[in-house]
Amino acid sequence: MTDESARILVVDDDVDICHNLTDILSDLGYHVDLAHDGHSALKLLHQSRYDVALLDYKMPGMDGLTLYREIRKRHAGTVALLVTAYASSATAEAALSAGAWKVVAKPVDFGALLQFVEQAIHQPLLLVVDDDRDLCANLWDLFRDQGYRVGLAHDVSEASEQILDSRHRIVLIDMRIPGATGSDVFRMVRETDPRARTILITGYRAEMDPLIDQMVAEGADAVCYKPFDMPQLLAKLGELARPHAEEAGQNPG
Amino acid sequence: MIDAGGLYERYKELQSYVGWTEEDARRVAATATLLEPYLYALIEDFYAEIERHPNARKVITGGAEQIARLKGTLTQWIRDLLSGAYDTTYVTRRWKVGLRHVEIGLEQVYTNVALSRLRTGLVQSLHESWRGAGRDLKETVRSLDKLLDLDLAIIEDAYQAEYAARLQRTERLATLGQVAGGVAHELRNPLNVVKTSVYYLVNARNPTDDKKTEHLRRIERNVELADGVITALSNFARLPLPEMRPIDLESMMREVLELNPPGDRIEVVLNSPPGLPGGLGDASQLRIALGNLVRNARDAMTQGGRLEISLRSEADRVVIEVADSGTGMDEAELVRIMEPLYTTKTRGLGLGLAITRSIIDKNQGTIQVESQSGRGSTFTVRLFAAPVEGDQ
Ligand code: HEM
Repeated sequence: MTDESARILVVDDDVDICHNLTDILSDLGYHVDLAHDGHSALKLLHQSRYDVALLDYKMPGMDGLTLYREIRKRHAGTVALLVTAYASSATAEAALSAGAWKVVAKPVDFGALLQFVEQAIHQPLLLVVDDDRDLCANLWDLFRDQGYRVGLAHDVSEASEQILDSRHRIVLIDMRIPGATGSDVFRMVRETDPRARTILITGYRAEMDPLIDQMVAEGADAVCYKPFDMPQLLAKLGELARPHAEEAGQNPG
Repeated sequence: MIDAGGLYERYKELQSYVGWTEEDARRVAATATLLEPYLYALIEDFYAEIERHPNARKVITGGAEQIARLKGTLTQWIRDLLSGAYDTTYVTRRWKVGLRHVEIGLEQVYTNVALSRLRTGLVQSLHESWRGAGRDLKETVRSLDKLLDLDLAIIEDAYQAEYAARLQRTERLATLGQVAGGVAHELRNPLNVVKTSVYYLVNARNPTDDKKTEHLRRIERNVELADGVITALSNFARLPLPEMRPIDLESMMREVLELNPPGDRIEVVLNSPPGLPGGLGDASQLRIALGNLVRNARDAMTQGGRLEISLRSEADRVVIEVADSGTGMDEAELVRIMEPLYTTKTRGLGLGLAITRSIIDKNQGTIQVESQSGRGSTFTVRLFAAPVEGDQ
């Protein structure tokens, strides 16, 4: 099956490869944008948020890894595949350390590449709304390692942008973020994306923060207290990330 | 807990206020034998009246046995009243009786009306038993009234002292709870980062060496953050006496700006007129206080802005003005901004400005703040100017 709303960014200075990839992916029903260098790719990011980015490693100007770092700063939820002809283990390791998902060797085996794209798009998309950048970076590493796509928002405007742009499986919301309270973000999610599940994050215990009980009554799925019990949190994610019953019924397999 | 000497001094002061004399004491003492036969009935009446008032009755929790004991203590209380000896022991015991009633939760109005009823009963009994001249009776009743007024004043005093102490205790507990909550929250954030990094290092499937280093660095940084929370708290709790020395304000402000860099997006201006006298204070403390002001200004200008620090002299003071063009505060925030544990930020204990104020206070300075929502805030610190060399 193909998720029609999935958006893919293809960046390669080799115009022919670029067009071929675009044709194949478009034919499969994906929405594809292409660019031939890093800077024009960054311009595209102003208008669009991509589920997957296929990036050529060696390009004039900005290389694919530098480009991915820029993409990740803006849209942490984008899954990157780097394509390279010089698959030295050092480049591969640098790319993986930077958070790229796969490093694919040239010449590209299209069958394998399409499978990766398909897999990436089916990784459940999470959103973490928390102004603590260290915690966000950790959760990104941990959740990616478990096979989730992870978007990050550090304040209320970043959160609202992403909630409007993308459908998330689960949104994790810190109760204290700049510019709003956790309950503002929670209600925004309920209104814009009612199928998204929600987990509240707090450093207080319930008795210190009456808002928590109220939001649970309004339908928040779980409350996660700092410092986290990671196995428990991951188990909860696994449970909440399962596709909803009606969705599974519509798309068997 | 109670200071018997102080109580007695106060009692004597009240005695002179109502014009109490040795003559009054003699007159009251003379009634003891006259009134003794009436005590039983007075006390029966006292408790019968209590039975009719549920809010008074409810504090008697010991049943008939307690009432029997109370009748005994009340009889003794009246005998002491009529004893003629109003010394330290008397006053202390009276005060303790008042305190006992607060402890059992009796509302103060009931001791007032009970004493009034007792007063009426005592005066009536005196009228019935009086065999002497009417003029002497009048004088005696007046003396008894003064004495009962003094007793009432002591009971009232005990109530007030105990209520004030209780209020302070609950306030202290509330503050403690607030501090504990704030500290817990602030410590749990870095702890959470440490815990999740450790989880990653232990459980990640294929972490690269770079990733491992990144997580170790993050752990280190957050341990320092947690330590900073504790430092801020102990700085606040125990501020040593300042060592007052002359300070060159301009170079101190430069150091403060170096230690607390406002960042690229903020334009910094430092105005210092030539010939500015030095300030007087403890430089190491004032650096903390002014550093908090600079950081506060920076946090109010996340979108960039202008930080203007102006030094000037004013009579025997030197003035340090720290003005930002940031978010500013409204009236409601302004009145609370220097309270400990008050914060408008999502991170932090809310101790920064409270520490600043208490440092400035201890350095014999003053601090004021003016602010306009959306326009910025100006903090003005005034310190004593250091005496110029050669001055007397
Ligand atoms: C001005 C009026 C009153 C006087 C002079 C008086 C006198 C006393 C005295 C001398 C004691 C013993 C204190 C001690 O040494 O522990 C006492 C205790 C007590 N009084 Fe009063 N009292 C008065 C009003 C009342 C009233 C209106 C009530 C209402 C119920 C009341 C209830 C009690 C109780 C429950 C105790 C505690 C007894 C215990 O320790 O078990 N008193 N009072």
